[in-house]
Amino acid sequence: MIELKDINKIYQVNKYNKVVALKGINLSIKEGSVVVLKGASGSGKSTILSLIAALGKPTSGEVVVDSVHISKLTDNFASAFRSKNIGIVFQKYNLISSLSVKENIILPLIPSNPDALELEKKLQKVLEMFEIVDKKEILVKNLSGGQQQRVAIARAYIDNPKIIIADEPTANLDEKLSLRFIEILRGLKQENKTIIVATHDPLFFGLDFVDEEIEIKDGHLV
Amino acid sequence: MKKMINFYLLEYAIGSLVRQKSKNIFITIILSLLTFLLTAVFFITSSIRYELNQTVDALPEIIVAQTKGGKHYDIDVSKADSILSITGINSAIPRVWGYYYFKNAGVNFSLVGVGEFEDDYKEILENGLLIGRGVRDVLKKSYFKEYFNFILSDGSLLKLDIKGEFDADTELESNDMILMSKDNLRKIFDIDETKATDIVVSVANPDEVQTVASKIQLLFPNTRIITKNDLKISYQNIFDYKGGVFLALFIISLFTFFIIIYDKASGLTSEQTREIGILKAVGFTIEDILKEKFYEGIIISLFAYIIGVILAFTFVYIFNAPLLQNIFTGYSELKTSFTLPFILDIQTLVIVFFLSVPIYISATIIPSWRVATMDAEEVMR
Amino acid sequence: MILSPEVLTLLILDFLFVLFTSIVFVISLQIWKSWDLNSTLASQYTLEKRSFLASTIIKFIFVIKIPLFLFFIFTLDKISNVLTGAMCGAGVLDATDVGNYLIMLKVINIYLFAFWLVLNNSDLQNPTQPYTKLKFALFSFIYILLIFEIYLEVDMFFSFEIEKLVSCCGSLYSSSSDSLISALFHVDNSLLVSLFYVNYLFLVIFYFFKNNYFFALSNTLFVINSVFSLIMFFGTYIYELPSHHCPFCFLQTDYYFVGYFLYGALFMGTFNGLVVIFKNELKYYKISMLFNSLYLVVVSLYVGVYYIRNGVLLSPM
Repeated sequence: MIELKDINKIYQVNKYNKVVALKGINLSIKEGSVVVLKGASGSGKSTILSLIAALGKPTSGEVVVDSVHISKLTDNFASAFRSKNIGIVFQKYNLISSLSVKENIILPLIPSNPDALELEKKLQKVLEMFEIVDKKEILVKNLSGGQQQRVAIARAYIDNPKIIIADEPTANLDEKLSLRFIEILRGLKQENKTIIVATHDPLFFGLDFVDEEIEIKDGHLV
Repeated sequence: MKKMINFYLLEYAIGSLVRQKSKNIFITIILSLLTFLLTAVFFITSSIRYELNQTVDALPEIIVAQTKGGKHYDIDVSKADSILSITGINSAIPRVWGYYYFKNAGVNFSLVGVGEFEDDYKEILENGLLIGRGVRDVLKKSYFKEYFNFILSDGSLLKLDIKGEFDADTELESNDMILMSKDNLRKIFDIDETKATDIVVSVANPDEVQTVASKIQLLFPNTRIITKNDLKISYQNIFDYKGGVFLALFIISLFTFFIIIYDKASGLTSEQTREIGILKAVGFTIEDILKEKFYEGIIISLFAYIIGVILAFTFVYIFNAPLLQNIFTGYSELKTSFTLPFILDIQTLVIVFFLSVPIYISATIIPSWRVATMDAEEVMR
Repeated sequence: MILSPEVLTLLILDFLFVLFTSIVFVISLQIWKSWDLNSTLASQYTLEKRSFLASTIIKFIFVIKIPLFLFFIFTLDKISNVLTGAMCGAGVLDATDVGNYLIMLKVINIYLFAFWLVLNNSDLQNPTQPYTKLKFALFSFIYILLIFEIYLEVDMFFSFEIEKLVSCCGSLYSSSSDSLISALFHVDNSLLVSLFYVNYLFLVIFYFFKNNYFFALSNTLFVINSVFSLIMFFGTYIYELPSHHCPFCFLQTDYYFVGYFLYGALFMGTFNGLVVIFKNELKYYKISMLFNSLYLVVVSLYVGVYYIRNGVLLSPM
């Protein structure tokens, strides 16, 4: 269960300029559901995602995930929360292009100083799942857009998080690849993951497995 | 039990260093050069100090010199007999020696007189010289190959044959030395039969040196008593002082270096900012990122330290430290041409370590912290 | 004054320490004034970030301080060659008025730094960070001590006079001198040694009862009892000389550097024994007992082996 209560978020650009990103957001997302956040770019979708992922803190209001007030967590606990519960697929994939596929995917495991065998096992599983086994040692910058996308999902998935967040996941993909990504999401839904996708891509609208579509405009829920 | 070192993080740190090649190569070169310079200087001083200590060890325990109003004068030979009467003394021998200025080459030779008791050399030195290697080379340049003319105080010449040259364990001391008979030396320096340059005293029990020295001082209040220990201490001070002056200069370079590192570590490309954002988004804590930065710092500074030390080793002990060595030797030009003995000086390595690795790491603390605490939400935009 | 490379190195690092701890001190004051974890003000987030800078700096300084302490002792030993009359570090420390206080302060500061790090660790492990204000208040205190330590160190190096004759440890640690330590010579040796062993017994008892406060208290006393009995009794067996009471000489090669081992074990043992105040975990009890026992066994062995080889004990003073 994810709840956002009376969220306001103001970015202080500089001394004189403020940008109000979110105004009085109230939102709740059930466990295991798939939610699509719709809205033009700059509407505040990404900000909501970063609050749910405990990457940022609201100016006022509370974010509660599984009855944990994550907006109040200290850095250590926010990171622990993220690595345990959240997998993020970014708009531009946010892979480190000069690292190999393997090195990118294992990033979330590094802080826990994992055992080599256990790490290989987890890695093999996601490589197979997202059909990139043969790309394991290849540098990310030499991959196509669709392949990079799958590496990004593999990285989000490797530590088996409860919640998967995707920010404009299909912005740089053609229709065929976008549909493939949607199929991947459908598979994750069956594993009872909570999935939140922020997008303005019409392909996501009216999908059968999506539980809720929420529209955002200028920092308000519509 | 958790492993002490996170090898995956270490691997990531190495990768991160490689990704910013040019910047890190630049830093490594500067840090290596600094450690190299510092290590080389310390290696040279400790080698010279060792050489001098060897020389001092071979010296007599006590030297008694005559002073008048604090100025050095020749001492009465008869005083040696009075000194002998002090208990605990093995021998008290008057020495005749001095520095002779050779104008042609602009150098000083140390002339040492060999006395009547040293039979081995007596025959050779009747009318001749034994010379050190450095002396031989200098004399050759002035075409003195078989003999040498000393200019006496009345202006006349004393011609003495060169009978041979000698090797000695410590080159620093013997390089500029000429041995001859005491009689000839007295002629050159115009010293009376009843006078000598100083008296050397050897003491049976080394623990009693201090006591004997104070007894001699009581016996002849207007003499200056120098013990072997005094010499050692003054050598140590001279070299610590020279090393210290160098170090003072080094501090300035160190802080310049500090600022360069600070600046370099602060300047982040947008790519690096994005990377940190990614790390945070996948669950790295501020401490994890600080640790990663610390790994980077340790790798680069240890690497530069090792390179610097190896370079210094090669420079000093294989190439015999051209240029640098002259700062620390050279009260006479002759004395510079000796080989530095090899001393593995752990203390130097420790000092240089403390002056390189922690300083580098400390310069990166604040920039790393800035990076680690950057707002991660940027990565979502 | 002495301007040797060793001394300069120490001074340079001292300067760095002052610079960095002053930053932490300023942060400490800010945190003490306005830390509020529940606040969502930007200033609170800034403080949270700064607290990481503070702990990083303290960690860094602690890690440097331990090897630097050994280096300091080593430097004193080296200076003892230059100062007439001094045979080891003890004489050098005595050459100035402040030397003995300096070394005590250094040891205390190392304990405090280590203590701070443990406190910091347990603080960050708790979602409410209950010790934050406390730990920075403690740091302000440590800061003052550290500055004082550095002041003493600089003062000491500048006040050495090479020509001056100083005492050697043999005359320092004897009943005839009028220092603090000489007061010990009026205490019976058997009393000191009994206190040491009885103290150890208390450690064992509180180890089994797992009473953290009493265990920590016993450890504090154990430091004092150990050092006193080492100087007065056990040390003489290391030197095999009934009249040699120096806590420094056994750091030298002649005694196979056993001093570093003894002091190291004592530090590890008693420090972990103090940690249990904050972290009442079996691990720390175990480490503490292990090292304290190791210390006890080694010093006792010196006496035992001497007795077996010679059939008599060194006569008590």
